[in-house]
Amino acid sequence: MLQSKSFVKKTKQGKVLKVVREHYLRDDIYCGAPFCKVCDVAAARLDSNASTIIIVDTNVVLHQIDLLENPAVDNVVVLSIVLEEVKNKNLAVYNRLRALCSNTLRRFFVFSNEYHKDTYVKIEPGESPNDRNDRAIRVATQWYQHHIGAAARVLLVTNDRDNKRKAIEGGIPAETVESYAKSLGQPALLDLIVQAPAEDVTMEDAEDLRPSKRKTIYAEHKPMSEITSGMHRGIYHQGKLRVNRYNPFEAYVGSESIGDEIIIYGRTNMNRAFDGDIVAVELLPQDCWKEEKSLAIANDEDDEDDDVHLAPSSADDAPRVSHPSQISIGNKSDMPTRPSGRVIGIIKRNWHTYCGSLEPMPMPAGDGGIAHALFVSKDRRVPKIRIQTRQLGNLLDKRIIVAVDSWDRLSRYPSGHYVRTIGEIGDRDTESEVVLIENDIDARPFSSQVLACLPPLPWSVSAEDIANPIRQDLRHIRVFSVDPPGCRDIDDALHCTFLPSGHFEVGVHIADVTNFLHSGTPLDDEASQRGTSVYLVERRIDMLPKPLTEDICSLRADVERLTFSVIWEMTPEAEIISTRYTKAIVKSCAALSYVEAQARMDDSRMADPLTTDLRNLNKLAKIMRQKRIERGALTLASAEVKFQIDTETHDPLDIGMYQIREANQMIEEFMLAANISVAKKILEHFPPTSLLRRHPTPTNDMLEPLIQTAASVGLSLDVTSSKALADSLDRAVGDDPFFNKLIRILATRCMSQAVYFCSGDLSPPEFYHYGLAAPVYTHFTSPIRRYADVIVHRLLAASLGICRLPDIFQDRPRLTGIADNLNYRHRNAQMASRGSVELHTLIYFRKRPTYTEARILKIRANGFIVFVPKYGIEGPVYLTSRGQKGGGEWIIDEQQQKIKKTNGEVSYGVLQPVRIHMEVVESQPNRPKLELTLVC
Amino acid sequence: MEFVNPEGLRLDGRRPMEMRQLRAEIGVVSKADGSAVFEMGNTKVIAAVYGPREVQNRSQQSNDQALVRCEYSMANFSTGDRMRKPKGDRRSTEISMVIRQTMEACILTHLMPRSQIDIFVQVLQADGGTRSACINAATLALADAGIPMTDIVTSCSAGFLNGTPLLDLNYVEDSAGGPDVTVGILPKLDKVTLLQMDSKLQMETFETVMQLATEGCKAVASYIREVLLENTKQLESRRGV
Amino acid sequence: MVGLSLGEQTFIKGGIDQDLRTDGRKRLTYRPIFVETGIIPQASGSARVKLGATDVIASVKAELGKPNPSYPDKGKVSIYVDCSPTAEPSFEGRGGEELSTELSSALERCLLGGKSGAGAGIDLSSLCIVRGKVCWDLYIDGLVVSSDGNVLDALGAAIKAALSDTAIPKVQVSANAPSDEQPEVDVSDEEFLQFDTSGVPVIVTLTKVGGHYIVDATTEEESQMSSAVSVSINRLGRICGLTKRGGAGLHPTVILDMISAAKHVSEQLMNKLDSEIAAAEACDEMES
Repeated sequence: MLQSKSFVKKTKQGKVLKVVREHYLRDDIYCGAPFCKVCDVAAARLDSNASTIIIVDTNVVLHQIDLLENPAVDNVVVLSIVLEEVKNKNLAVYNRLRALCSNTLRRFFVFSNEYHKDTYVKIEPGESPNDRNDRAIRVATQWYQHHIGAAARVLLVTNDRDNKRKAIEGGIPAETVESYAKSLGQPALLDLIVQAPAEDVTMEDAEDLRPSKRKTIYAEHKPMSEITSGMHRGIYHQGKLRVNRYNPFEAYVGSESIGDEIIIYGRTNMNRAFDGDIVAVELLPQDCWKEEKSLAIANDEDDEDDDVHLAPSSADDAPRVSHPSQISIGNKSDMPTRPSGRVIGIIKRNWHTYCGSLEPMPMPAGDGGIAHALFVSKDRRVPKIRIQTRQLGNLLDKRIIVAVDSWDRLSRYPSGHYVRTIGEIGDRDTESEVVLIENDIDARPFSSQVLACLPPLPWSVSAEDIANPIRQDLRHIRVFSVDPPGCRDIDDALHCTFLPSGHFEVGVHIADVTNFLHSGTPLDDEASQRGTSVYLVERRIDMLPKPLTEDICSLRADVERLTFSVIWEMTPEAEIISTRYTKAIVKSCAALSYVEAQARMDDSRMADPLTTDLRNLNKLAKIMRQKRIERGALTLASAEVKFQIDTETHDPLDIGMYQIREANQMIEEFMLAANISVAKKILEHFPPTSLLRRHPTPTNDMLEPLIQTAASVGLSLDVTSSKALADSLDRAVGDDPFFNKLIRILATRCMSQAVYFCSGDLSPPEFYHYGLAAPVYTHFTSPIRRYADVIVHRLLAASLGICRLPDIFQDRPRLTGIADNLNYRHRNAQMASRGSVELHTLIYFRKRPTYTEARILKIRANGFIVFVPKYGIEGPVYLTSRGQKGGGEWIIDEQQQKIKKTNGEVSYGVLQPVRIHMEVVESQPNRPKLELTLVC
Repeated sequence: MEFVNPEGLRLDGRRPMEMRQLRAEIGVVSKADGSAVFEMGNTKVIAAVYGPREVQNRSQQSNDQALVRCEYSMANFSTGDRMRKPKGDRRSTEISMVIRQTMEACILTHLMPRSQIDIFVQVLQADGGTRSACINAATLALADAGIPMTDIVTSCSAGFLNGTPLLDLNYVEDSAGGPDVTVGILPKLDKVTLLQMDSKLQMETFETVMQLATEGCKAVASYIREVLLENTKQLESRRGV
Repeated sequence: MVGLSLGEQTFIKGGIDQDLRTDGRKRLTYRPIFVETGIIPQASGSARVKLGATDVIASVKAELGKPNPSYPDKGKVSIYVDCSPTAEPSFEGRGGEELSTELSSALERCLLGGKSGAGAGIDLSSLCIVRGKVCWDLYIDGLVVSSDGNVLDALGAAIKAALSDTAIPKVQVSANAPSDEQPEVDVSDEEFLQFDTSGVPVIVTLTKVGGHYIVDATTEEESQMSSAVSVSINRLGRICGLTKRGGAGLHPTVILDMISAAKHVSEQLMNKLDSEIAAAEACDEMES
């Protein structure tokens, strides 16, 4: 059990702390080749008839990870020193490398050279750590060469000239990445190689043959030491750069040092920073703050189109309007209050891979050679990326993934390389995958470790479950569920019993997911990572494996299921007398759809017990709803659309607005009540570690567009509180029936979204849920499809003393991390759903040019933005061709938001209905888009 | 932080069930009645035993057994960051007490009434597991002093990090905030005389971690026996027996 | 401390009178000296010195600090000695404190010169990094592990060996820092500075027992002393510091006589120590 040899490594940490650590060298580290006669081959990962074993150096991993991930590259030995260096330099690449090493389909083997007695090298006097590590790599390669002998060729792959020379001098075969990739005989592999900056220059020359014309486009980034000292002196500010989703030439840097957001206008000021980069910013002189804007926009080389897109459902989706009041008022003396600045250095890059397509270009003469192309990401925040490819003809009509490698200050665009092809542009499956990739959604099947955590199938309630004293047997109670048609993952069911006392007993029964999902298991880790199920138009990506989602947990009709229930005693006036929480067993008697439930309630001939229950519930729900509205809850609205999908082709057959019925509102009301009850209960027991959900009060800035739009139709809204806003929304009744809903839709999109948070991170007044006017709120009712509810179930169970609180709740930073991830996943899931709807809208209209009614949202210099309620989309209607100033035959008044034909025949104002024509056009090959035109 | 990499190696190259290198030397303080140095990796302690001798403070004298006293101290240079604490802080007092109680349990105190035995342990270098090292050093020093004992006491610690039980935590692993179970056993009698743990641990996990620490104690015991045997052989040859 | 019978006392004194001490040494002979360096890897430098049964450890730790405003171009050095109860049960608790303080101040006087650091064995200005702002603070810690007399000389030797073992990282100061702020310091982990320890003196303690004085007294011999004079002498034979201990008065000529004897002995000790240090360092290097 003892070590082979002891060694001491001295390192310095911090200022002068001398750290001494032991470093044991071993003789039980094996080579990983299954044909080895000396080593233990139990853990061997290399191919048994590998002809070449390659060893890569750190820079190859850091820069060429895309090449390594290609299945053509195999039998790779990854040295522990390389892993260590990669980990220190780039954690994302490290994780990808680790994934390769643990992927059983790939032949990557980790050799712990640093702990092997023959391959450990000690730093020599005067040797830099880099040189020492390079030497360690060579020593390990040599060891492999001697160890494997004639059984296979050992090859060192390095792009470091010095390292390669020294290796060859020492008799070690070494090659550059390029020559190695060439030797594999697959030309497409060469596209994956990141070009060295030296080659970048020649490429630039090829673009423009006059070198004298090469000019510096961007300012040089300041060295790190200068940035640090500048930040100390307060002249530079550090923060994460966020590019405006709707205007990629505008970015924001949230700076803690000045406590405000700094606006960056234009690519020149952004100075090669990407969205998500940590940057250092210098403020511009205050008198430049305003001029910068017009200047920046005038400078912008490629003015991008406003595409038709799905109407936003919250402020987080909507374009940001930086200073509406200023633009409309145009008061010169009013100095802009928002500081603007420019990026002077990048502290940490957030480069990853991007999904998109190549900019259409003619095929260069002499096919097969290297072509230079520009890649346009689907994410508009990302600038175009220059790539080299040998398969241009093949890629032009494809969705591809590209990685960024560098951005030279002489180059307008960053350089990158091709990573892989997803499929043909416009193809539904390809575009759906793009939506998933763009939103970082893991749609892979569940791993075998995860599936191993499932209970054996077929599962049914066991005698033990029934005998369990913590579980109440409610099978005799008439429990039923109401969901959208075709719902398979039923997480909630209800019951309503009339008590002799004249009160009602109302129960909300939620699938007892935590009975199957135990903390710390691979299944739990996976669910926590996924955070939520994702609903696309044509498919659902589950948070939990299918047997749990659709069977074991789902509260289907006529089967016994385990639940976690909230049971109230209520007066007929919907006053809650008492609240009880218990684990239970129920047997649902009916799984109704909203339509069915509604029909039962409406059909006066029906008087069966189930229908009576429904009607009682509905009565209670209406009272509860009224009370909630009196408290100041907002009735918001969004333009949700529903597709009918062809079961064979998965193409959309019909599209229309989702109809909200009383039955929907009834279920919603009880779910809200259950969530609020549970939130109170867990917060009472675990004040610092509860997971709650808050909806921040919108700032006046955010509500400004709503107030303006309302004002332009002569409506004044009181936004001082949610109650005041709710009341003024109620009063906003126009001539046509749709007007009120339209105003509500506009109000909804001004709000930011509700977010999860850990109760210990905020003070109680901040817990407030604005939209629901509830002091505390959480999610309890959908544990099958939301992980937040799983956490809340565990908290509730612990508060009842049913089970121990998992260790994770002792660790507040981790809990905060979970909440952050849930918010991120939740938001991505929504973005993906929207993306999927947009995609299907496009597919639907491809064959169906349509005339429809739209509403004007905003009048702009060259036309207006309309909202199409029926399809839930919005987009621009151009009255004049692009670039042309003035309105042609139209008189456009942006200030007053009015539009008039020169001959005075027709005039439009905001929120007025117009008739438009919708059609899919392909102005560029393979780039179909929806076009809206005015029908007069 | 990753304390055990996917290859199953710890930060210092050990595997989870491996102990650091042990080294012991007997008779380092020539003026003491018994003394020893004990090293577990970079943790290094000296123990010196004085006695059995006259009880210094008469009021503490006991007529049926020996008085065992212990003092634990750390050298200023023993930690990475230089210590500036005066002697006798709470931690030292606590460890002194732990060592005294553990050693008292195996010394045949009834054979030496009205006498006093002093055990002094001095930490020269601390790199995790000082308690265990002190107990092991004290055992050797008591044996060197020829004090009658029922059995030797040996000690070792184990922890639980990254979901893996780890034997003999070093300073870095100890500072990770995971549990640290220190066990002391009487190897021949197969009894646990010392058991301490900080932090939290699940019941089932605790069992395996404690089992591992006990295994570690047994390994220390066999090493200590070897050292004692070697020492005795040298004494023999020096005396020409 | 040491309970000696009258016979034993007479025997010790008689031996010294006849220049044949109880362990066979002459009056001015040292016990064999044994040096080991680098024994505390966490310290910047360390050494262990054994002088017979006396066993001491010295360690040097360097930390970044701010110079004393009165001496802006000098670093700071402080010496602390701790007497471990392993050496002597009476050092238990606070029992060793008196001796520790006495040894610490004697060592500071012998090795560090006056308050200004003038005449110190270590060049304090070499510890300065940025005048008035950043300097190295050296913390020298001595630990008495086992004591059999003459602890002071042993500590002096251990400190000298530890200093010669000390490597201090090279420091880069960022050039563009404004003058009114504490400069940013970058500590190298590859390059180290070594000290020139040739100027560090050795300490020779002469113990007066009866009518004679002896060097390197054992605990038994120390118990019979009337007074002792510790002289620190550098390589050039200059006296760097001096302390007298013990109550009995000494005649000035005796003191001068003792100093000249000390000077003579110091040369031998210095050479012996240097060769021991060199051997220890060579050994240390081979191990690592």
